[in-house]
Amino acid sequence: MAVYKRGYRRYRGPLTGRWTRFMVLPRYAWQRLYQQRLVILLTMLAMVWPVLCAGFIYLTNHAELLQGLDREFRQFIQVDGRFFSIFMYVQAGFAVFLAALAGPGLIAPDLANNALPLYFSRPLTRWNYALARLTVLVGMLSVVTWVPGLLLFGLQVALAGGWWFWSNWWLGAGMVAGFLLWLLVLSLVAMASSAYVKWRVVAAAVSLAFFFILSGVAEMIDNVFRVDWGHVIDPAWAVNQVWCVLLGVAPPAGPGAGPSALALAALIVALAVVIERKLRPVEIVS
Amino acid sequence: MTTIPVVELENLKVRLGRREVLRGITCRLGVAGTGKAVGLLGPNGAGKSTLILTLLGFLRPSAGSARILGLDCRRGMGEARSRIGYMPENDSFIGEMTAVAFLRQMAELSGLPPKEALEKAHEVLFHVGLGEARYRELRTYSYGMKQMAKLAQAIVHGPELVVLDEPTNGLDPAARRRMLKLVGEMKSEQGMNVLVCSHLLRDIEQVCDEAVIMRDGAIVHQCNLEEERRSNRRFVELEVAGDDRNLRAALPEIGAEGVSEGGGRWRIVLPAGVELEAVWGLAARQDLLVRKLTHRRDTLEEIFLKAMGHLAHTPGEQAERVS
Repeated sequence: MAVYKRGYRRYRGPLTGRWTRFMVLPRYAWQRLYQQRLVILLTMLAMVWPVLCAGFIYLTNHAELLQGLDREFRQFIQVDGRFFSIFMYVQAGFAVFLAALAGPGLIAPDLANNALPLYFSRPLTRWNYALARLTVLVGMLSVVTWVPGLLLFGLQVALAGGWWFWSNWWLGAGMVAGFLLWLLVLSLVAMASSAYVKWRVVAAAVSLAFFFILSGVAEMIDNVFRVDWGHVIDPAWAVNQVWCVLLGVAPPAGPGAGPSALALAALIVALAVVIERKLRPVEIVS
Repeated sequence: MTTIPVVELENLKVRLGRREVLRGITCRLGVAGTGKAVGLLGPNGAGKSTLILTLLGFLRPSAGSARILGLDCRRGMGEARSRIGYMPENDSFIGEMTAVAFLRQMAELSGLPPKEALEKAHEVLFHVGLGEARYRELRTYSYGMKQMAKLAQAIVHGPELVVLDEPTNGLDPAARRRMLKLVGEMKSEQGMNVLVCSHLLRDIEQVCDEAVIMRDGAIVHQCNLEEERRSNRRFVELEVAGDDRNLRAALPEIGAEGVSEGGGRWRIVLPAGVELEAVWGLAARQDLLVRKLTHRRDTLEEIFLKAMGHLAHTPGEQAERVS
């Protein structure tokens, strides 16, 4: 029977489980995000570098193609920690722009349209909501970061053989862990700016400016006080320190991975508090 | 058989900042599963919306307890929320979504499987009169359409209890009638319990079976409108010229009673079986000139005014006690 003839009847059927309900928000958000041309364009652009890296891996594993090259150069082009760290720097940059482009569209419209009471009057807690939004961003950014990274790692294993995996498995694990840390920071920054600024464009600008401003402030602290610990407040720099340890690459001078990881943890907690304070169904003015 | 009240409050206190907004409310409202409506009445700032937000688990009680459909508002809200539909007072929607997509998402969040959620989204949009506009983005809707869309999202998952916060706010008379008709159908045809929060007496009187009047964060009156309607009492506004000092004492002659509002104005309650002619006759016997005689059925207004302290005495209250 046609729906307009049937009339409304109360639903009395079975209900879905907790995880199915949790994934409703990410499903709808991904659907909306991938309808935006800019998001698709940037995602495709972000795939160029992994493709080039795949070509590089192919070359390094086919010695016959490198016969004419200088011996020192042949030793220089190897798939090791340095190779993966360069791959990660480039993809991390794309992730910053993608997070700034997609992140503000997740929470800002809900706040601007006062949609939170509708979500929270359903079996969805504030933490569920925040986690669902985080899942959207982490999922979307994964497509351009650790997923292609892991594919490159797999390609290298396939071409070089099992021995390479046994002596370099920590590179793959380090890359995934390093990327996830960066994605967490990026997503929380995008969500926090989106929760504080209701206009999407301004929230995107704030999300981008956050990294540049902190980088500038860190540089200023170092120069004014003639110290090197100022860098820990620059999230990009701190993450790089952690990556260097994870990939076995010589880190830049300054505070080590420990203080950098602590600074990142503090930043993550601060961003979580900011989000927790803003994501309320009703605003209480005392 | 044990009956579960729709709302059960036990010395409920809610504090917002330094201000105590709800001051120790204790009451039981409605019976779950009966398809009845409870109205929350009160002037602005009485605490109606705060009570609703507390029942939904948005605000934490500073003392006491609140239960909705038998579930505690602090601990049992996960389950309660899948059985409740909420229509907030202010604009609440996702402007960039079409009505169908929005309702489908809301239904899925309440636990409906995707296919059923889509079916119900279409069904309920036709039900509230937005069938033709269901593929339009919500931001393009007029105010009245947005109100209907808000009602639609509140009932799309077929809740046992629907909480409506000022549902007729800003609606034109036709839209208001339609909204009240839909609320009436929700109880009578779908068997849903409804909790309506409003400051419009006529809306509450039209759709509710029970009313609670709030003032300054406390319940000042609770009445069963169904019984009021059944008692078939009629209220009369009388305005006379002349010496009306003996009128109050004379009213029991015709089985009526009333209260003077000064300046020759009276409010009189007539018991069942007494016709208006009796008032005319009484006025003639008292040598009073009748300037105005209006028949009123709005009992809730009387109750409300008394609760607010604007009337010293509610006509008919004594008669009710005697009977």
